[in-house]
Amino acid sequence: MATPELVQPAPEETPRGVPSVVATVGSRRAALLRLLASLVATMAIFSALIVALGENPIDAFDAFWSGAFGNKFNVGQTLMIASLLACTGLAAAIPFQAHLWNVGGEGQLWFGAFASISLILILPDGMEGWLAITITVIGSIVAGAFWGFIPGILKATVNANEVITSLMLVFIAIALGDYAISKLFPSQSNSTESVPFDRLLPNIWEGTLVTAGALLALGAIIVAIVLMAGTSLGFQIRAVGLNSNTARISGMRTGRVTVAAFAIGGAFGGLAGAIAVLGINSALVAGFSANFGFLGIAVALVARLKPWWIVPSALLFAALRTGSSGLQAQTGISSTVGEILVTVFVILLLAFGVIRLRYAEATQ
Amino acid sequence: MIVTDVFSLGVALMIPMLWAAYGETLIEKAGVLNVGIEGVMLIGAFAAALGVSKGGGIYAGLGFSIVAGVLCGSVLALLYVRLGTDQIVTGIMFNILAFGLTTTLADEILSATRVTAFSQYEIPLLSDIPFFGEVLFSQNVLVYAAFLAAPVVFYALHRTWYGLYARASSEYPRAAEAAGLDVWKLRYVAVVAGCVLTSVGGAALFSSSGGFVSGLTDGRGFIALAIVILARWNPYWIVAASLLFGVSEALQFQADRLGPLGDVPPDILVMIPYIVTILAVVLARASRYPPAVGLPYRPSAKAS
Repeated sequence: MATPELVQPAPEETPRGVPSVVATVGSRRAALLRLLASLVATMAIFSALIVALGENPIDAFDAFWSGAFGNKFNVGQTLMIASLLACTGLAAAIPFQAHLWNVGGEGQLWFGAFASISLILILPDGMEGWLAITITVIGSIVAGAFWGFIPGILKATVNANEVITSLMLVFIAIALGDYAISKLFPSQSNSTESVPFDRLLPNIWEGTLVTAGALLALGAIIVAIVLMAGTSLGFQIRAVGLNSNTARISGMRTGRVTVAAFAIGGAFGGLAGAIAVLGINSALVAGFSANFGFLGIAVALVARLKPWWIVPSALLFAALRTGSSGLQAQTGISSTVGEILVTVFVILLLAFGVIRLRYAEATQ
Repeated sequence: MIVTDVFSLGVALMIPMLWAAYGETLIEKAGVLNVGIEGVMLIGAFAAALGVSKGGGIYAGLGFSIVAGVLCGSVLALLYVRLGTDQIVTGIMFNILAFGLTTTLADEILSATRVTAFSQYEIPLLSDIPFFGEVLFSQNVLVYAAFLAAPVVFYALHRTWYGLYARASSEYPRAAEAAGLDVWKLRYVAVVAGCVLTSVGGAALFSSSGGFVSGLTDGRGFIALAIVILARWNPYWIVAASLLFGVSEALQFQADRLGPLGDVPPDILVMIPYIVTILAVVLARASRYPPAVGLPYRPSAKAS
């Protein structure tokens, strides 16, 4: 005998006007003032640091600008870094919308890169280039999804703290990458064998190193927009983020949504790994990721977790990254100042309340 | 004896995580989740390296790292407590900031540092006991201090007024405030004190690794987060849990003497502590954070 259906199935159409998990506070003008204040404070702190390191801040900003946008080639580099950051930004943004802390985008990126290099070098020699690339890209996405699936399933089944599990998987994935470099496909001391030329993502902008990887990233953004705005799963992810109890009571399987949000986030991280290997470095290079997975969290936050805002946000952070490489070339200051600049900016955005995470459950 | 060697090394390796776990316990028992623990530890290690490279010896380094702990604690307390920023996101950002800051500054201002360790001290009589003598009583002073700190942390949390108040503010801050307590002040104290202990863990790590390199902590701070959960915020259990991770880390250095483990590539052995951490978090599934941990608190008296 069939039991009567008591709960409403999830609505097919996404209702409009559902508030987002992340919202700025106060009026638009106040928010703008806060944003300006955090920008000015970031500049001040960064200038002070540059002076402390014995350089002229004006020259430093000049070197920064030319590193990011000084010529066509550098603009291309910024675009490619932005492609990586867009993917890792999505890796954070989608689970964050479900109020799940996938802070392991770095691990999903590394595991995707590990899967990429393994697949592309193992696939038989006779295979067509485009086919090998397609298989590898899909394989990396699946690998990344698997790396995201682990903290997701552990969270959903035994309520294991996803911050810790996803962070631990970062270190495991990096160790796997080091293993590929030192044992599986050894070549030079800090890189695997190179990917054969016909199996690299093709160049799409002459005079730069911009490859089809940028298009893959753009595709990822579009997929994420459609997923979050136009599918029932996207709606459920947001509903769980707003209030998982309400979501459960209204009939959503929150455990499944948890796993799905994590796996989808991981898939984007895995794609970033494929872009890095096939579209940027042509090999798995030790330390190829300058914390790109972690910076994806910053990208996602500044984009207020909205997929379409991730494009400008990723471009901004990519410019800060290539800018700091320019600074390194001119002054010799380590390019890790880029990390300082980015994190000071984001922490000030948090401090000034420009980025404020708000949850139904937190406001008891 | 291979077992003695593994445990003896394990005890030495557990110490940085042990200090950090004490620090995290203090902070979480006041209702704050310090995900920035990794960064605080890294800055502590860098500060110790700075003290040593300025010619002050390892004890000057320890002093530097205590100061660094106070500074980190003040910044984090301002963010977590006063400004009520999201603790997980702020913590992660702080970790990257610490990575960038220490790497940049290490390039610029650290001179090549000699290997320096804390003074080794063999406790008379006790160090003659087989196994335990070598494992527990032939270590450096910071190791002994770490073991002695367990009852101190326990006493502070469970036998003092401060500990009672702090725990109240991690359980139900609204009630703590109604009882006349200043939740913010309790949390400030806890965050600063906890960051000092975490930073000392960084100094311990620096002294046992013999030199500062970029990203020296390599996840040990995050492992300490797991240790605290596994040990359920009890300092004595924290010692036991830290030993588990110290030993799992020691395995990779003694692998060539451990039969089949010797054939496993070193890059794979590096993973052991991280895998053990995931297992620990899974096994500690019944362990629950105090209810208010991680949630910013806005006192009704200080509407801002």
